[in-house]
Amino acid sequence: MKSNAVRTMSIAGSLLAASVTVALGTASAQPAPLQEGGGALKDRRIGYVLTHKYWAVYETEGAKTECPQGFNDGPREQFKKLFDDGKKRSIVDAQLKREGEQWHPTTAPESFVFKEAQGNVSYGLNLDGKIGPEDFTSPEGEKGIDNQLYRVIGCIGHYRTMGTINHFENLFMRSYDDARIVIELTEVDDLKNDDSVVVTTYRGSDGLLQDATGEGFIPGGTQRVDLRWGKEYVSKLKGKIVDGVLITEAADRVMLPWGVTFGTSGYHVFRGFELKLKLDPEAAEGLMAGFVDVKAFNHHLNTSWSTHHHSYGQLSSPSQYKAMMRLADGYPDPKTGQNTAISSAVKVKFTQVYVQQPEQKELVSKQ
Amino acid sequence: MGTVALTSLLLAGCASKDEPENPGTPPRVRIITTQQYLNTVANVFGSSVNMDMKFPPLRRTDGLLSNGAALAGVTAGKIETFQRAASSIAAQVVSPERRNYLIPCTPADEKKADAECATQFFAQTGRLLHRQKLSDEQLNKYVTEANQAADQLKDFYAGVELTLESMLISPDVLFIVETSDEKPNKQGTRKLDAYSLASRLSFFLWNAGPDDMVLTAAEKGELDSERGMQKVVDAMLASPRLEDGMRAFFDDMLGFDDFDALSKDPTVYPFFTGATAADAREQTMRTIVDHLIHKQEDYRELYTTRDTFMSPALAPLYQIPASRGWTEYTFPEDSPRQGLLTQVSFVALRAHPGRSSPTLRGRALRERILCQVVPPPPPNVDFGKLNNPDAHYKTQRERVAVHLEDPACAGCHKITDPMGLALESFDGAGRFRTAENGATIDTNGELDGVHFTDVVGLGKALHDNPALPSCLVDRLYSYGSGGAAKPSDRPLLKYYTAEFQKAGYKLPDVLRTIVMSDAFQHVTDAKKVSTSEGRAPTEEIVIEETLPMVPPTTTVDTAAPATPVQTTAALTGLDKN
Repeated sequence: MKSNAVRTMSIAGSLLAASVTVALGTASAQPAPLQEGGGALKDRRIGYVLTHKYWAVYETEGAKTECPQGFNDGPREQFKKLFDDGKKRSIVDAQLKREGEQWHPTTAPESFVFKEAQGNVSYGLNLDGKIGPEDFTSPEGEKGIDNQLYRVIGCIGHYRTMGTINHFENLFMRSYDDARIVIELTEVDDLKNDDSVVVTTYRGSDGLLQDATGEGFIPGGTQRVDLRWGKEYVSKLKGKIVDGVLITEAADRVMLPWGVTFGTSGYHVFRGFELKLKLDPEAAEGLMAGFVDVKAFNHHLNTSWSTHHHSYGQLSSPSQYKAMMRLADGYPDPKTGQNTAISSAVKVKFTQVYVQQPEQKELVSKQ
Repeated sequence: MGTVALTSLLLAGCASKDEPENPGTPPRVRIITTQQYLNTVANVFGSSVNMDMKFPPLRRTDGLLSNGAALAGVTAGKIETFQRAASSIAAQVVSPERRNYLIPCTPADEKKADAECATQFFAQTGRLLHRQKLSDEQLNKYVTEANQAADQLKDFYAGVELTLESMLISPDVLFIVETSDEKPNKQGTRKLDAYSLASRLSFFLWNAGPDDMVLTAAEKGELDSERGMQKVVDAMLASPRLEDGMRAFFDDMLGFDDFDALSKDPTVYPFFTGATAADAREQTMRTIVDHLIHKQEDYRELYTTRDTFMSPALAPLYQIPASRGWTEYTFPEDSPRQGLLTQVSFVALRAHPGRSSPTLRGRALRERILCQVVPPPPPNVDFGKLNNPDAHYKTQRERVAVHLEDPACAGCHKITDPMGLALESFDGAGRFRTAENGATIDTNGELDGVHFTDVVGLGKALHDNPALPSCLVDRLYSYGSGGAAKPSDRPLLKYYTAEFQKAGYKLPDVLRTIVMSDAFQHVTDAKKVSTSEGRAPTEEIVIEETLPMVPPTTTVDTAAPATPVQTTAALTGLDKN
C-alpha cells in the first residue's frame, strides 16, 4: 500500500508524498492491541471436564406418569417380606443367602413385582438408527430413543433426583481427582458449525475449580491427561458440530472412569457410545449414551456401593439385574443369542478446561 | 576477587560521608506483630510447632501497619490472645515427641525439679525470646518458678511448660524496647545499644527476632564497628530469612491486609473465589521476592515486568493453562499484564465487590506506591449522582466523569482517576476486558503529565516517575525505624534515594545503605508530648464511599529515652482506613 502510494505521487508532490509516507509509517508502528488468553479454542482445540453426571431418568411431578404403581422395594423391604414369617433361620439361610444373590445374580423369576418405568418419553439417543416399538420419544419429540435402562431404574429412588447414587456419584466425582472424565475436541474450525471434528476421551488428573457461588465450576482450568491407568481410557470419536451442538458417530467401545470414593477404581464400558452436547466456549451440556454391559454394570454397583447404601435408595441389586437382563437390547451373546447389554443415557455437564498432554518421554531402547 | 573490588565492596555498605546529619528516630517501644511472633517462635523451636493464631490488628499509621505497632495499648482481651498462643506453644515444646530435641538436656528424674536442666533450657531459650542474654536475676526467677511448679505438679516438664508460657507472654518478649548507650555523641544523639540495634536490624530485615549469630555479634561488640556491622548485615541480607522480612514489608506497604476483608459478589464474579484471592496475594509476593531478592533487579521494573508466577487457581482468570503448584510464568509481549499494577492482586483488591473503580485504583497507586496523600472528599459531597444506579453509564469512565462536573470533587479526582482509568482494562475481579456493557473501553490516561494509551504505558510512566523509588525509600526507613519519617528527615531520604539510584535501584543495596547509616543506628531523646499537643491526624478516606468517622482516641506512644528509663508520649489520631 505504501509503495503504491509513493509510485502515484508526482515529483511536484514529493513533499506531500513524504508526509504521507511518514503518516503511514507512524500508523503501522502502532502497537498491536493488548490481548489476553486468546480464548478457549486454541490451536483448533477445546477441552471440557465432566462436572455433572446423572443416569438419565425422565421425571414428572410426583412420578405420577412414569411410576403410577409407586417405587420399587429395596433390600430392607424385600428382606422383611422374605423372612418376616416368624420362622427361625440361620444367618447363612437368611442374610448371607440374600447377600450372595447380589454377587451371583440370576435371571430366575422371583416373587417380587418389579416396577418398570411407564410411558414412552425418555431422555436418550437413537443408538441403532431405527424407530422400534420399544423405543421412546425424547421430551423434544425425537423418536427412536434407545434407553431401556430407564425402564429399569426409572422407579428406583436411588437414581432419581435426590437419590443416593444421583447425589453421591457426583459428590465423589467432584471430590476425588482419580475419576476425572475429560474430553477434547480437535480439528475444530468453528464451535458453531463444523462438519468434521475429532473427540477424544481421557482420564484427567486435576481437581475441579468450584466457583464462588459453590454451585458452579470455573471454566479455564487445566486438566493433565492421566495415562497411568493405561490407554484403555483414551478413545477417539468422529463428530460434527451443527448449530452449536456436537453430534458424534458411535464408537464401538469407550471406557470411562466411574470410581466413587477415593481409591476405588470403578469404570463403565459403553458400547456404541455417542455424544450429543450443546457447546459453548465455557461449557458443554447434553447426553452421552451407549449400551452398558449388564453384568459389568451390576458388578460396578455392588463393588461401589454396599447393601446399606442400596437400602437408602431402595435399590435391590438382584431385582435390578433380572430387570436389566430382561430388557437388555444390544450386543447379543453369539452363543445364546441373549442380549448382554442395555441401552442407556447419561445426562452430563462439562466445564471448559485446557487439556495438557503428559510429557512424551522417549524410551531408552529408542535412544 | 581483586583488592580493589574487595575494598569497593567493603566500602559500599559503610556509612557514607555524604550522609547528611540526622538525629535519628526517638527510641521506640513496639508491640510484636503476629507474624514477628510466629517467625521468632518458628526460628527458636522449629516449624513443627503449630501456631494457628492471630493477634489483634494494628492501626495503619502514616501508610504502614508497622508504624501502628508503636501506638499499641494492651488490653485484657489482647493478653488473653497472647496467653492462648503461649499456652499452645509451651505445651507443644514439652510434648513427648518434641522435648528430646527442643529441650537440650534430660532431667535426672522426670517427676522432680531439675535446676541444672531448667537453667540450661531457660538460659538458651530466654536469650532468643528476650532478644538478649538474661540477667542472673531474670534467669534465676524463671528457674525458680519452673522448679516450684515441677515440685508441686511432680513433673519436670509441666514446670518447664508453665514457666515457658509465662516467658512467652512477658513484656520483655511481647514488646520490642529500644534503649541506647549512656553517652550522647557530639551531635547530641546516642547510638542504640547493641541488643537494641540487633533487634532493629532483625525485625527490619527478617521480621523476626535476632538469631544466635546476630546476638553473638551484639554480645561481642561487633555491631559497634563498621566492619562488624558490615559482616552481620551481609550475612543477614544473604539469609533466606530476608525473604520473610521483605514479604512482610511489601505486604504492609501495599496494604495487602485488605485481602483479609476482600469479598466479591459471587453473582457478578463467580470465578473469583477465596483461593483466587489468596493466590493473587501470593503471586505478587512471589513476583516481588523473585525480582528484588533472587534476581536482584531494578525495583522500578517491578511495574513493567512480564515475569511472574502462576497457580492453577489463578490461571483461569488469566485465561491460560496451568501446571500443578506454583510455576514461573512470563506473559507474552502483547499481554496487558505488565507490572504489579496489572496483577489480579492490585486490580481486584482496589475495586468494588461488583464493579471496577478507577478512583480506588488511582488512589491506591498514589498513596501506596507513590506515598502521596489524596485529600478526603468535602463533608457535604453529594454521592447521589455517582451512586445512581441508572445504567445509562455504560463504562466507568462515563460514571466517574460525574466527579469532574463538580469543582469540589474534580480537584482530587484529577489526581486519581486519570491513571485509574487506564486500569479499566480489568474488571473488578481483575479479568481482562476490552468492552464494558457493549461499549469499547477507552484506556487513555495520564500520570503527572505523562500521557499513555493503556496499562502498559501507565507502567512505563510509573517506572520513570521519580516518586516511585523515593516512596520505597521513605517506607523502608519508616518501617525499619518504627515510625513515619519527619519533614526534617527529607535530606536523609534524599541521600538514601540517591544511593538507591547509584546502585541501580536494587533492593539489597538500599537496605544496606539504610541499616549502615548513622540515622538508623542512632536515636535522639524522646520528646514528651502532651495530649493537647497531639499531632493532627493523618486522614485517608475512601473517595467513593464515606467511611464512618472514628472519634479521636488517646493512645500511648511508648518511647524509650536514651537511658533505659522510659518516657511516654500521648498522641491522638484517627483511624486511617
